Amino acid sequence: MPSRIPRVTKTVAIVLKSRRLGDADRIITLLTPFRGKIDVIAKGLLRPRSKMAGHLEPLTMTEVLLAHGRTMDLVTQAQSVETFAVLHNDLQHLSTAMYLLELTDRLTVEHADATEIYEILERSLRALAREDGIQLVTRRFELDLLTVTGFRPELDRCLETGEPVAADEAFWTHRGGGVISSDALANYPEARKIDSHVLRVLRAYQSLSYEEASRIRIDPDLAGRLEQVMHEFVRTQAERDLKSAEFVEESRRVSLGVDAESDA
Amino acid sequence: MANTPINRLIEAFHRLPGIGPKSAQRFAYYVLRAPEEEARDLADALIEVKRSVVLCQRCQNLTDKNPCWICLDESRNRTIICVVEEPLDVQAIERSGGFNGLYHVLHGVISPSDGVGPEELKISELLIRIRDIDKEIIEIIVATNPNLEGEATSMYLAKLLQPLDLSVTRLARGLPAGADLEYADDVTLGRALEYRQKV
Repeated sequence: MPSRIPRVTKTVAIVLKSRRLGDADRIITLLTPFRGKIDVIAKGLLRPRSKMAGHLEPLTMTEVLLAHGRTMDLVTQAQSVETFAVLHNDLQHLSTAMYLLELTDRLTVEHADATEIYEILERSLRALAREDGIQLVTRRFELDLLTVTGFRPELDRCLETGEPVAADEAFWTHRGGGVISSDALANYPEARKIDSHVLRVLRAYQSLSYEEASRIRIDPDLAGRLEQVMHEFVRTQAERDLKSAEFVEESRRVSLGVDAESDA
Repeated sequence: MANTPINRLIEAFHRLPGIGPKSAQRFAYYVLRAPEEEARDLADALIEVKRSVVLCQRCQNLTDKNPCWICLDESRNRTIICVVEEPLDVQAIERSGGFNGLYHVLHGVISPSDGVGPEELKISELLIRIRDIDKEIIEIIVATNPNLEGEATSMYLAKLLQPLDLSVTRLARGLPAGADLEYADDVTLGRALEYRQKV
């Protein structure tokens, strides 16, 4: 006998984004551990006296009660569990959090178990709020998310031959999904030489525990090159430009510009 | 659906935001039953608004005069600019009667999930205006909505404007009139407590 869908379900969720529906309602995209990514309707959210508006803002972990609907579920109650308030106080942290949300949205499918993805996003947002370091949190998040969604970049062995590739001799292909040796260049015309420092750090981030990885010190210049490689890679896997990645870069440029002027 | 005049009218109403097929049909049949003069007024208003309304070269608000009447009004405080997301926000603040300065309309808010970044907004126009046109400006009030995108936009503007040595402020956040404390979220309640006032 087919299992009956309960009329009301309660779940914890992270709000990924929301969009307007009519005059006062919104469609909220939630990431839930067991139902994965789902779109739900929140009625009257744009009214000043809405009791749920603050609990369904993007970048909020919230407990929701959902009434089963024919096309989309309806939010009947919402109570925020974690608002990541400190992330709202700094432009670079906020833009990074927006990037984590957009990347999660792009790389997940609707109505599929997302327990691991939920854990990765929650863990990363909490680490960002603890000020663990934007580079470490973001790069670990990207590598972990790419791994569980089936896009894990191959950093150690040649995609073509399967042989280990030395960091100094490696070439990088976004389309292929990792490193290749010079012997395989003919089959990957778009491949470019990858900065050996960048590759070593990525390898360490992928293979070490979070605590071990957090001991790696990288200067801002190397951080910028790491970010460039990973942003290109996730853009290719997501098959579209990620506006939030551009905003992360722009936020850092604006923030560093101001800091540099105040230091001078 | 046959390409008849009535179906074309229904289709035109249906394209409006928030209008479903049934509402579109009701509007179309209302226009059909209304006197010809009323239909002509509607058509004229639609054509006139498209022909005459432009963006004010200074504040980017919608206007039929360029610069708009607010930018030309010498009685307004010309040292403060209130930056808003949409032209409707100008109307809302004007209705409140609590602000007598100038405005700048961004025409959106930084929202990466909708594909909107800083370059899609009227931010460069604001910078040019402060540097070259309204040189007496001393304060910028960022009146974006108190949500994730509004906060990102206000923080971005604050960083961008910091080298210009202006006072950049944003609207206070707290509980709306008629709200219940019980249902307030942590961020709103926290801000309301942080910015509490003496009674």
